[in-house]
Amino acid sequence: MNKIFKIFRKKIYFDQYLFISIATLSIMGLLFLYSASQENLETVIKQSFFVIFGLFLMFLLSQLDPDFYKNNASIFFLISIFLILITLLYGKEVNGAKRWLDLGFFTLQSSEIVKIALPVFLAAYLYDKPLPISLLHTFLTLVIILIIVNLVRIQPDLGTSLVILLAGLYILFLAGLSWKFIGISFSIFILSLPFIWNNFLEPFQRQRVLTLLDPNADPYGSGWNITQSKIAIGSGGIQGKGYGEGTQAHLDFLPETETDFIFSVVAEEFGFIGVCVLLITFFFIMLRCLYLALNARDRFCRLTIGGLSLLFISTVFINLAMVVGIIPVVGMPLPFVSKGGSSLLSFYIAFGIIISMATHKKLMQK
Amino acid sequence: MINLNERFTEKKNFFNRLLIIYVFFGFLFFLFLYRTFALQVSSYADYELASIKNKTKEILIQPRRGIIYDRNGEIIVNNVPSYNLITRPSEIENIESHIEEIKAFIDISDDDVLNAKENYKRSAKLNRELTLKNNLTLEEIAKFEVRRHKFPSTFIDERYSRFTPYPELFSHSVGYVGNLDEDNLIQILAEQNLKPKETIFVYSNGYIKGMTGLENIYDKTLRGVYGKKLYEVDASGKLLNEIEITPSINGNDLYTSLDIESQKVAFEQLNKRRGAVVAVDIDTGAIVTYLSSPSFPLNRIANGMSSKDFNKLLNDGNKPFFDRAGQGRYSPASTIKPAIGLYGIENEIIDWDFTINDPGFFVLPEDNRVYRGWKKGGHGEINLKEAIIESSNTFFFSLAYESDIEELIDHLSYFGFGRNVCLDCFLPDKGLLPNPEWKMNTLNFGWFKGDTVNLGVGQGYLSATPLQLAYYSAFLAKKGELSKFSFVQEDIDAPLNTFVSKNINDYDWEKIHESMIGVIDNPKGTAGRLRDLKDFTVAAKSGTVELVSTETKEDYKIIRETEGKRDHAIIIAFGPMPNPKYAVSVVIENGESGGSVAGPVAIEILNSLLKNE
Repeated sequence: MNKIFKIFRKKIYFDQYLFISIATLSIMGLLFLYSASQENLETVIKQSFFVIFGLFLMFLLSQLDPDFYKNNASIFFLISIFLILITLLYGKEVNGAKRWLDLGFFTLQSSEIVKIALPVFLAAYLYDKPLPISLLHTFLTLVIILIIVNLVRIQPDLGTSLVILLAGLYILFLAGLSWKFIGISFSIFILSLPFIWNNFLEPFQRQRVLTLLDPNADPYGSGWNITQSKIAIGSGGIQGKGYGEGTQAHLDFLPETETDFIFSVVAEEFGFIGVCVLLITFFFIMLRCLYLALNARDRFCRLTIGGLSLLFISTVFINLAMVVGIIPVVGMPLPFVSKGGSSLLSFYIAFGIIISMATHKKLMQK
Repeated sequence: MINLNERFTEKKNFFNRLLIIYVFFGFLFFLFLYRTFALQVSSYADYELASIKNKTKEILIQPRRGIIYDRNGEIIVNNVPSYNLITRPSEIENIESHIEEIKAFIDISDDDVLNAKENYKRSAKLNRELTLKNNLTLEEIAKFEVRRHKFPSTFIDERYSRFTPYPELFSHSVGYVGNLDEDNLIQILAEQNLKPKETIFVYSNGYIKGMTGLENIYDKTLRGVYGKKLYEVDASGKLLNEIEITPSINGNDLYTSLDIESQKVAFEQLNKRRGAVVAVDIDTGAIVTYLSSPSFPLNRIANGMSSKDFNKLLNDGNKPFFDRAGQGRYSPASTIKPAIGLYGIENEIIDWDFTINDPGFFVLPEDNRVYRGWKKGGHGEINLKEAIIESSNTFFFSLAYESDIEELIDHLSYFGFGRNVCLDCFLPDKGLLPNPEWKMNTLNFGWFKGDTVNLGVGQGYLSATPLQLAYYSAFLAKKGELSKFSFVQEDIDAPLNTFVSKNINDYDWEKIHESMIGVIDNPKGTAGRLRDLKDFTVAAKSGTVELVSTETKEDYKIIRETEGKRDHAIIIAFGPMPNPKYAVSVVIENGESGGSVAGPVAIEILNSLLKNE
């Protein structure tokens, strides 16, 4: 028995810690979604397909050798850029935003693909460059990042573009970007904030920032979402109101319960206990990724695991910070929990790649 | 080797940087946990309340206001349902064009339009409803219903109106209801632990309260207790289901002692002349007739009337809103004489056999001022009984002259003068029982002996309301033991006012009654004309209030050219004798003769009351 298991382990590449925690998270997510969608079975069944398919995809992608990703990173990256451009031209318009590509059986949010492709591409690109990264390559990398970020921003999808920017910057940072450069550009960023405020932000985005500073200024207008979200979370108390009993969620006070604000539903119905269980699961995945990154076999794997895991963590925290009113509302799903096929699949893909990088060892490390 | 070293530094660098970011996220993790803890545990109570407030909506239920009955169980004021065209002014931008659109198919009177326009702003601000038209016909309802989609803020609903079948009879006694202002409402609701949000309206004019009369005095009893319905609502404000209901408690009905029939008689008798009639059941002190004339239309005041019509009433020279019965001050004139006579008996100044020679006038020894009687040449040798029957002034001038003013005032206050004699009257006036201190304080003059002499015939500063005169009348009828007046039938433990005396006994009261019967039945009586109007015996004392002092009859003839300067006619009466049941007072302004003008009214009232036993 033990022997069979060992052979099995040798043949396949698998990280039980990540797999089990992600599967657990996904199943909890389905449970939460059922309540958050007002007991809409159709939504949950659809999401279940994505979960099953996603877990299978994750397993499949982790079987491939990291070199496969390294060698084909440019191709993946070009394909994802192509998808973005197609979306901008022929995308399905919903609420004034062109983010989706209608593939018939599935509407693809193309920014979710480039979100994964960019860090992998950057890691591959920096693989054979001298590190710490030189100024020339810093600039080249930055140009690539900013082009992609802007392509997503004009869809417009501020949330995802922000995450892509962060993912790119993480790679640069991990690749040894000089502190001097960081210091200077950070200063420039701070100084140019008023300029960004006036020229890059849409009026509604500015309003969201203002709302964050004082949500009570207009509690029934722009402050509605955050006010109601806080009421939902706060009224959950320690034990929560019970599964399916959240009045904020079920009487439509809470907006976007299936996507952005699903955490508020969890907090309302399962209370602080439920919040802790959910957070600990995320925290565990986060720590496991740290461990894997530190033990990765080469620079490409290190950078990729680092970049993708930080992308994941950033998404989680942006969503959480948003629903409790620490940062403005930007439109960010809670990974593995929120409804949405593209976002869900993108993270299964990300973790498939992470597991692949972490489990494929070479006898002679480069 | 160099290569290896490089790789080692690179790896170390990577670890350090990844750790920096992880530490940052670790910090965020705990910050977030703290934030959630703060929301869910520390501020739980606040947010729980906010969530409950979110999902529930409180709606007030107005209770049905109590019905007011007369002493025979006949309804005086009721709540009458009608189908009204109602609008929510807060949702309408231009009320005029809105009304014009509706007027195209439903006739709305100019009065109603004016009324709606006047109240539009106020109702909109308070988020109250506004009635465009009361009492829709079936045809009008049908006409509106087919077009209702065009008027989302207007609807037809059943509402109650305060309604009396006798709009002019009970204007001052029962009074009217009006709109409750916001402060009042908040106070009433606070007493019941309720907060105003929305109301299921029962009445056509929303929140109502009694403004005057019994509607005001018994407002709390009549009003009842507000109920509430607690609904679960969704974010759009749609009512989902009823969570909790606290039923409203209907107001208690009020069984008054008023008698519709006698009230009708009083109204017909006064026939819009200025004056007042008050009649009471002497055994209980219950007021059975209470009329101030002219009167005003109760239903229209209570349920909305245009300000034009209202101002017309307000500026009417006859002052229909003024409650003459409870607030009008009149000199008692000669009607005071029985009380003055009793004072003489009590203080042993005179007895029933005591006589004086009445030459027709009295000369005040101090300054030789002459006080005249009504009959030229006087009444000759007369005693107290004759003085009452013939209404000799000289007898009472000289009796008052002998009196002690402080004692006399004390004595008169027993009879209700200068006091509030009613438990539940609306803003009753105390009249004026003058004394030296009062005169000094208000007129800056000392009390003259002449003032006391004037008091002896009920002229001068002394004044009383018809309500007080009725009390005085009843007090005489009950031989000095009478409870305070009230408007209700139930036993309300009215305090008993008992005449404390040293020298007056039943004999003296009988003699007073006898004298007052003589006022009508004796050939010399001043109200002899009443003799044939009745088939029972009545005791009475008439009076004529001089508004302008005249020396001769010729002088008065000039005076009476101006109606407003003519004497007031006044009478007090009780009967049937010898076992009186009712006492009555009648005042008719500028009616000139107490006996022949006010007298018949009093007799008709007694007739009606006794007939309707």
